[in-house]
Amino acid sequence: MRTQLHTTGLRTLTWFSAKKLIVHRRWAIALLIAILVGAVMGYFATEIEEGITAASDLLNILVLFFFMPILALIYGASMIRNEIDDRSITQVLTSPMDRRLSYLGYYFALSLVLALLLMLVTTIGWACFFAVKGFDASSLELLFGYLLTVCIGALVYSALFLVFGVVLRHPIYLGLFYVFIWEDFVGSIPGAAENYTIRHHLLVLASSWIDYGEVATMTGDPWMSAMVLFGLTIALLAIGSWAFWNKEVP
Amino acid sequence: MTDPVILANALSKWYNEVIGLNSFNLEIGKGITGIVGPNGSGKSTLFKLVTGTIRPNSGTLLVMGQKPWKNPEQLSKIGFCPDYDFLPPDLTGREFLSFSGGLHGMQGTPLDARIEEVLAVVEMKGAADRKLGGYSKGMRQRMKIAGSLIHDPELLLLDEPLTGTDPMVRREIIELVKHLHKDHGHDIVVSSHVLHEIERMTHQVALIYKGRAVASGDISEIRRLMSDHPHDIVLEGKEMLALARLLLDKQFTVSLELSPDRRTLHVKVSQPEEFFDEVPDLIRESGSTIERMESLDDDLESVFRYLVRW
Repeated sequence: MRTQLHTTGLRTLTWFSAKKLIVHRRWAIALLIAILVGAVMGYFATEIEEGITAASDLLNILVLFFFMPILALIYGASMIRNEIDDRSITQVLTSPMDRRLSYLGYYFALSLVLALLLMLVTTIGWACFFAVKGFDASSLELLFGYLLTVCIGALVYSALFLVFGVVLRHPIYLGLFYVFIWEDFVGSIPGAAENYTIRHHLLVLASSWIDYGEVATMTGDPWMSAMVLFGLTIALLAIGSWAFWNKEVP
Repeated sequence: MTDPVILANALSKWYNEVIGLNSFNLEIGKGITGIVGPNGSGKSTLFKLVTGTIRPNSGTLLVMGQKPWKNPEQLSKIGFCPDYDFLPPDLTGREFLSFSGGLHGMQGTPLDARIEEVLAVVEMKGAADRKLGGYSKGMRQRMKIAGSLIHDPELLLLDEPLTGTDPMVRREIIELVKHLHKDHGHDIVVSSHVLHEIERMTHQVALIYKGRAVASGDISEIRRLMSDHPHDIVLEGKEMLALARLLLDKQFTVSLELSPDRRTLHVKVSQPEEFFDEVPDLIRESGSTIERMESLDDDLESVFRYLVRW
């Protein structure tokens, strides 16, 4: 009986939360990002001679370096926090679903929507570039490589920013600190500091299936990075669900 | 003697330096129970504690014999309709109920059947496929109640279900609450800051003031005490001058004040129950159209001060 309650509840919460994220007016931001990435990649394709290597580097900079953490922050940090603030979380909190499971429902919805949006942005950028340069088998291989990378990135970043929204009253500030100060600034300082960023491990992992551009030159053990990302995601989910379970919502 | 539905013993809850409930003692039995108190008296805090969304700082709270904090299983027996508006505007009424049912583990044909049943109970079948954002206040209240009923709970908690509704909707919701207990067997705890509205639903009340239960039991005794105390009532609508003239002739009218635009009438009455009994006839006789009528919160505050001799 409890199993049916939890599976149905989890499915319902994931489905309705994903729908809510998609219809929210933030879709306009995602659309603008997709147009921007498409325009930049299309323009570069007409201006430079390099082909697939340049495409890989552009996708790396535009999607992995910049828009993936930004989109994850915009969607993830506000997801539960907005529901607490506008009190639409009442139905979830007063349902018999275990709160730790409800937290997973939010996480699945966020990861799903984020992965879909990032795949859309990546595909549009890729299509605009190769529409000029010409599509071939290696360009498709590059696309699938980046799609896989953004899906994994969506899973990890969602776990990170969802915790911020549960634990902090104004999660956006810590989120901005992480993205711009920690990943972009501290992470680019020569030495071991980059080992403590999600992006570094994501790039090391991606280097095992992307053979073009700067990503392919990443050094490090992809298996170790996979384990780090997996462990971090699980740890963040455990912290988030524990915080949600213990959270008072006046 | 059956076990109490809600039992609070020396229950306290505070938010930083603000006290929500203070050494609160209350026993609520089966049937319909009204919780009456001015805004900020602790009614909503009590509901939040009962649903386990917040935890008590001290004291004990038992709901159907169990502690509610971190006890999600118990929520399958409780339906909660909060005082605030939380309905997602982009969903239709039916989708909202489907979401509520899904969170309670309901799905497929049984859920569809239950949605139809609940829509019939709250008389919202005709508007079920419209977006919630386009609903009137009364329709939204009905849909909130429907959401709290979807899993057929034993205990229904209605926090200020009449606030902000016009007299017609108030009457309909009052009838609905009585119907839910009489014909569907739900135990109901309903809050309001207007005693007269609660009186139309039940005679079993608890009065809360500044985080404490100051009186509980049969309403008739409490009403007798309160009848001696003047009440301020505000009426808003059209043709209020004619209504004011009729009210002037009544013994229970202590004073009248009509706003310059002649749409708002403040009446101070000495016997509120007589006022409420006679006002429908007076409205009809005067040809007035009433858009809003309520006892002012400040007035209830003064009644509570009067009751506790502060």
